[in-house]
Amino acid sequence: MDSGLSIETRGFYAPPVQDTPFDIDADLARRISAGDSQAEAPFCGRFAPRIRLFGLKRLRSDAAAADLVQDVLIMALQKLRAGAVREPEHIASFMLGTARQMMLDSMRNSGRRERILSEYPIDLIPAEEPAVEGAPDGRLQHCLQALPERERTVLVMTFYDDCPADALGTQLGVSSGNVRVIRHRGLQHLRDCLENAEAP
Amino acid sequence: MTADHHEHQASELLAYWLDELDEAVAEAVEEHLFRCDACGARLRELIQLGGAVRKALLTGSFGTVVTPSFIRRLQDAGARLRQYHLDPGGSVNCTLAPDDDLVVSHLRVDMSGVRQVDLLIDDENGALLHRARHVAFDPASSEVTVIPPVALVRRMGTSRQRMRLMAVDRSSERLLGEYTFNHSPYDPRG
Repeated sequence: MDSGLSIETRGFYAPPVQDTPFDIDADLARRISAGDSQAEAPFCGRFAPRIRLFGLKRLRSDAAAADLVQDVLIMALQKLRAGAVREPEHIASFMLGTARQMMLDSMRNSGRRERILSEYPIDLIPAEEPAVEGAPDGRLQHCLQALPERERTVLVMTFYDDCPADALGTQLGVSSGNVRVIRHRGLQHLRDCLENAEAP
Repeated sequence: MTADHHEHQASELLAYWLDELDEAVAEAVEEHLFRCDACGARLRELIQLGGAVRKALLTGSFGTVVTPSFIRRLQDAGARLRQYHLDPGGSVNCTLAPDDDLVVSHLRVDMSGVRQVDLLIDDENGALLHRARHVAFDPASSEVTVIPPVALVRRMGTSRQRMRLMAVDRSSERLLGEYTFNHSPYDPRG
């Protein structure tokens, strides 16, 4: 699928050269490997939302994403406790790789998860993070109604069932690039409105 | 980081969520999200905003123009729709039952050669209530598909409204069709 992304955009998402901002993750990983059980809860607290987002993207299911969070954290703690993570400074990559692998594994072996859960304490794993409160209905309604008609149409048809730009462009007789431009403007207007509108 | 940069980032995160990125870029975004909690929070906001828009649509909180294919997607998902199909110059007696989720007006129109269509809504006295400029439509469908705000329709008494579709170009506009809706509150006796 054509992303329409520029080289600069690719660079934007490239891993940073220095890992200074991520020292907390690495430090927690090193402490767990050294037997510090106090580091396990904050470690799980930091990675659970990231794994959940990954799971939501790939699986489009809250329940399946929550299962994946448990599976990945259990596996990671097992490896860390056993000293089997060789490069704690790259713990984020390790966690992502584990998440990708576990998702493939879960497709191949659905019974394995139950066995792991029965053998391993999971009280370290944070409960599913509470949903961030969305905009109150009245304010969202006002802001949606205030959008230019085409922007509202594109946002509604996009968000209703996560419709990508190329499919939406086909339905509207415009290019996918045009849909992205309208969507970008619509998002900007909607967010501006939600930030500035008074609660009803 | 500027506000514009944030918006750009939000758009790219949405492209990732919608599976629009090629594999290499999507993997790079994924790796970034495993390191950057700020971007993760931004993506979660977008996902939640999408859910809120979806919910607002299905509760009839606002009106919008869509396409016939979108209406089919709503039906496939189990939405209960009351639909009216009108030709230019046509009128219909309409209502909204308590168990209807949404009402849909299919305004048939010949849009060949038309670049911009505006939708105008008049009250029963002919006074303009609303003008939606440059509405979206599927050029292959020969109709403009309108979902009025159901929450508002439910509060309406017996009344008449008119929708007009206008073809607009730089220097002029012309009427494509007008459609009259004679609304009555729901009567279970039919």
